Amino acid sequence: MLQKREKVLLLRTFHGRTLRIVREHYLRPSVPCNSPLCPQPATCHNDGKLLSSDVTHYMVPDWKVVQDYLEILEFPELKGIVFMQTACQAVQHQRGRRQYNKLRNLLKDARHDCVLFANEFQQSCYLPRERGESMEKWQSRSIYNAAAWYYHHCQDRMPIVMVTEDEEAIQQYGSETGGVFVISFKNYLDNFWPDLKAAHELCESILQSRRERENESQESHGKEYPEHVPLEVLEAGIKSGRYIQGTLNVNKHRAQIEAFVRLQGASSKDSADLVSDVLIHGMKARNRSIHGDVVVVELLPKSEWKGRTTALGENDGDDKALGESPSEPMPTGRVVGILQKNWRDYVVTFPSIEEVQSQGKNAQKILVTPWDYRIPKIRISTQQAEALQDFRVVVRIDSWESTSMYPNGHFVRVLGRIGDLEGEIATILVENSISVVPFSEAQMCEMPVNTPENPWKVSSQEEREREDLRKTHLVFSIDPSGCEDVDDTLSVRALDNGNLELGVHIADVTHFVAPHSYIDIEARTRATTYYLADRRYDMLPAILSADVCSLLGGVDRYAVSVMWELDKTSYEIKKVWYGRTIIRSAYKLFYEAAQDLLDGNFSVVKDIPEFKDLDEKSRQAKLEELVWAIRKLTDIARHIRAKRDSCGALELEGVEVRIQLDEKKNIHDLIPKQPLEVHETVAECMILANHWVAKKIWESFPHQALLRRHPPPHQEFFSELRECAKAKGFFIDTRSNKALADSLDNANDPNDPIVNKLLRSMATQAMSNALYFSTGSCAEEEFHHYGLALDKYTHFTSPIRRYSDIIVHRLLMAAISKDKKMEIQENLFSNKDLEELCRHINNRNRAAQHSQKQSTELFQCMYFKDKDPETEERCISDGVIYSIRTNGVLVFIPRFGIKGAAYLRNKDGLVVSCGPDGHSEWKPGSLQRFQNKITSTTTGGESVTFHLFDHVTVRISVQTSRCHSDTIRLEIISNKPHMTPDTELLQQCSLLLKSDLVKEVTRSVEEAQLAQEVAVNITEDYQKYCQTKGRSLYTLLEEIRDLALLDVSNSYGI
Amino acid sequence: MAGLELLSDQGYRVDGRRAGELRKIQARMGVFAQADGSAYIEQGNTKALAVVYGPHEIRGSRARALPDRALVNCQYSSATFSTGERKRRPHGDRKSCEMGLQLRQTFEAAILTQLHPRSQIDIYVQVLQADGGTYAACVNAATLAVLDAGIPMRDFVCACSAGFVDGTALADLSHVEEAAGGPQLALALLPASGQIALLEMDARLHEDHLEQVLEAAARASRDVHTVLDRVVRQHVQEASVLLGD
Repeated sequence: MLQKREKVLLLRTFHGRTLRIVREHYLRPSVPCNSPLCPQPATCHNDGKLLSSDVTHYMVPDWKVVQDYLEILEFPELKGIVFMQTACQAVQHQRGRRQYNKLRNLLKDARHDCVLFANEFQQSCYLPRERGESMEKWQSRSIYNAAAWYYHHCQDRMPIVMVTEDEEAIQQYGSETGGVFVISFKNYLDNFWPDLKAAHELCESILQSRRERENESQESHGKEYPEHVPLEVLEAGIKSGRYIQGTLNVNKHRAQIEAFVRLQGASSKDSADLVSDVLIHGMKARNRSIHGDVVVVELLPKSEWKGRTTALGENDGDDKALGESPSEPMPTGRVVGILQKNWRDYVVTFPSIEEVQSQGKNAQKILVTPWDYRIPKIRISTQQAEALQDFRVVVRIDSWESTSMYPNGHFVRVLGRIGDLEGEIATILVENSISVVPFSEAQMCEMPVNTPENPWKVSSQEEREREDLRKTHLVFSIDPSGCEDVDDTLSVRALDNGNLELGVHIADVTHFVAPHSYIDIEARTRATTYYLADRRYDMLPAILSADVCSLLGGVDRYAVSVMWELDKTSYEIKKVWYGRTIIRSAYKLFYEAAQDLLDGNFSVVKDIPEFKDLDEKSRQAKLEELVWAIRKLTDIARHIRAKRDSCGALELEGVEVRIQLDEKKNIHDLIPKQPLEVHETVAECMILANHWVAKKIWESFPHQALLRRHPPPHQEFFSELRECAKAKGFFIDTRSNKALADSLDNANDPNDPIVNKLLRSMATQAMSNALYFSTGSCAEEEFHHYGLALDKYTHFTSPIRRYSDIIVHRLLMAAISKDKKMEIQENLFSNKDLEELCRHINNRNRAAQHSQKQSTELFQCMYFKDKDPETEERCISDGVIYSIRTNGVLVFIPRFGIKGAAYLRNKDGLVVSCGPDGHSEWKPGSLQRFQNKITSTTTGGESVTFHLFDHVTVRISVQTSRCHSDTIRLEIISNKPHMTPDTELLQQCSLLLKSDLVKEVTRSVEEAQLAQEVAVNITEDYQKYCQTKGRSLYTLLEEIRDLALLDVSNSYGI
Repeated sequence: MAGLELLSDQGYRVDGRRAGELRKIQARMGVFAQADGSAYIEQGNTKALAVVYGPHEIRGSRARALPDRALVNCQYSSATFSTGERKRRPHGDRKSCEMGLQLRQTFEAAILTQLHPRSQIDIYVQVLQADGGTYAACVNAATLAVLDAGIPMRDFVCACSAGFVDGTALADLSHVEEAAGGPQLALALLPASGQIALLEMDARLHEDHLEQVLEAAARASRDVHTVLDRVVRQHVQEASVLLGD
């Protein structure tokens, strides 16, 4: 009964090969014709909907007519329509599901007089597609053939009109069969339904819109962006010099307009000069590339070059360049292709309900705004837009078609509520690609055990192999109070020959972390411990970082030591020894306590736990011993420091703020950190150890040692510093590190200590970043560390929180075994692998710094958020102008360590003017910018001038933002310094703090309760993370020393 | 392009069949002279060859011999050209081994193994073209081959697959229908008694629908039986003509 035929399909596979597929196709003698004129309704199984019998003709629409004029065919006036299966399938395949479902519903609807005829399954209607016949031709032929059969099937009693848009078909089939007419759709409507106005109108409008669409696609092919050039062309273009390859950097403050392409090979500040950057102006020229992508750029002709803007921008995109002139034109280009997409997970915010409604009814596609200003809006299709409104959400970009204004993405997960501390912290982590999952079981299994029942002990084998310093050396550590992860200890003693022996003992982490173990791999991925303002994420599990590796007082620990023999008077280094040791730290001192001992203030003795249980006499003896050691150490450190200074080591300033939290973990106060001499002593010993270890590993492994270098800065970056200093009458010589250090020391205004601080921090910003590198990939003269003025430097002293130190430890151990002619056990990284690893560590360090800075800013904002700037006294503070822009100034607030922009012209075009008492108002007027001052003149003729380093009074407020992080906003309220005790000297901070505390407590009960509600859930989280409070100040100093500070100059729209 | 419509509103499947209709079956017995029994079957575009040796003495290790019945040894393989994308390994992969085991289970249930203790029956099946329902084609081919070899069986074993789309059970799925990812069930039936030799399904299907799908598969298996029965009768007739009596 069924006939089997075979259909051959040629499909293109996923890999681009052509695949021949044979599908069966069964034909049957009878399919339902659903016509009342059918001679044998029983064989046809006409049990469904039948065509009505009172029609004058049957109408058979062509596939093209069904596709384009389905809306007209839906008119109930049109009767007796026979849809051929061929036409329906064409709709299904070419017009998509929606249109097809419309057609299906039409066929099911009993009120519409139309039926489907399954012509392709009927044995005499089916026509196989011939070789070389186009799909369209075959469809027309099948439909005509079926229509002719249908006519004969109904015993020629009912004329059939086939309606088609194909002129050729009309020509070809028009007169083939009598009774089957072939005409165009327009013709059909005119002839058969001349009175059906609505159908005619609809037909016109369909034709119209189709014509428009065709025109449009001929003009721009419906594209928003030009297509990317194929890869081969790009590669050839780069080689021939026609195109330039580089990394795209979007200007944060003009994300819509400005982006720069930094040429390949030149990292952030190392590029030879700024001219090498290529400006990409506007989204169109950026051509779908996203911040961080490696792109290929074509330069535009010189006449189209544009300059960069220097005004303080606001991210609202309303900077219509208020009459300002952009700077010199610079090379401008457009992106022609993307070599490497650096898409990551992005944190976004959904628009609020009102915005969604304004975006139109098509609410399934929603434009979300990324947290990072530099990322364009992303189109997401989701049904949950309303539910996710108040949350920070992670999305991924899927694609960016040339026809689409915005990239398409999809929703991944929810981070937390907007404005909620945990949510915002999670945002910062995701934005910096930091993933901090808890350590897995497999990783924890590798860890040593140390419980009260099963305490960790020194093994006898290790005891034999290691040098035992427990009896012979007085070892102690100096750290910030409450520190748990002590990775460095010091010792000093007099030798029998009268010389001194200085020792630096570092926790032996590599003993517990075997190369390529799970924990090693995890630590390598994390690369560093992440310190945020209020918490930290450890690189190693707590059992190591806070217990077995931590060099706590009074317990035996493994260490890696460097010991120098120094001349008793000149402190010349005579000998050096490296090796594994066992130590027992006698004292775990705090910086403050150590400083007091050094100053001869013994009142702190009772605070030191180690002295508690001793009787008076032995305590005195021990104390003397310890004080001698600290003094000696300080002496040695001063000496080494002086020697390094003579080579030109820099002392630079960065303002760091510590956040003080109260018992409920609400933010209480922001306190700038203060340096003590002991800090410097400890830091100096660490630098010495790092330096000597660097020398050692480089000598042993000249091609695969991990060192740290700090390239000298480019002179152009110092121009701003030089000009600022000139404003105060100082001359800064930046030709060498020595000259710079000296002139910075000299540039000291006795009336204003902040000037020197600011100059130092500006110098810091002008520096390049220090980097880890593998010695095999760099020429030896480039090893130099500019900031520390050392020829070789590495990181060795903090293996608990830096992975680079772990590598250096392994290298040092290998170097020792090499000296002893023993087999090298550790399998060291080759130069290539090490270089790759260095890149990873540098990357992660940058992420760590960014996240730390962002979290500090977050806390600053949260501190000021619930304070009313109008009434709260603390929101008014003294500030120093440190940079001048065309429409405002940059202000530094020493009290809180905040830097920010203050506008002199507001959005309405009004400018600041100050009355005789110094209080400022907004008035109409104009601004004039000079080299180191800015004058604002009102229309009334009053004028006020702000100079560099002027002290002004500013009001601090928080500008909240739904989609992005909140920002601190400064407003100049007086051009006179703010006269309160806290501006005098920072030493009074603690005094002020106490009064603040009292004030905080006596705040209205209501407010406190509100705060508590928020705090309760956060508090638990804090306890969970149980961390050391505050990070070691040594870390801080070292960071400043390493000049790895962030490029702040970028953050104010310069 | 919208997704493929496996069952149209008019009740047609992609290839023009209705829900309960089988694909065209063509079969021949005795295709190899050398083997004890052999058969070739086409179910639509799925093509399979089956060859039977035995019963004979245990080959290889004698320890495998069973004291009370014959050992049924089944091997399944599919030709490298049998699928759209060329296969790497024609036999010995996971899927083939599993298929071999299923065949063995099926035929241990059907062959009267206790008549031939301590002997072995080998069934080798090769799929030449896979277009859905390979298990069913293999079972059907092997049944014919076993009959050709003259090994006593309880009954024919007839197999067919069935699927479930939009509330309707579809019999004898083709490759297109299988690839769409719906539930699929394979059934091997002893048609005279209605006993099930093997039933296999590894997708999720609601319990309420199982009955319906099972019923469709059983009916299709009985349809297969009528076809196979005709093939056997025709073959026997031809053979007896050749013998010349």
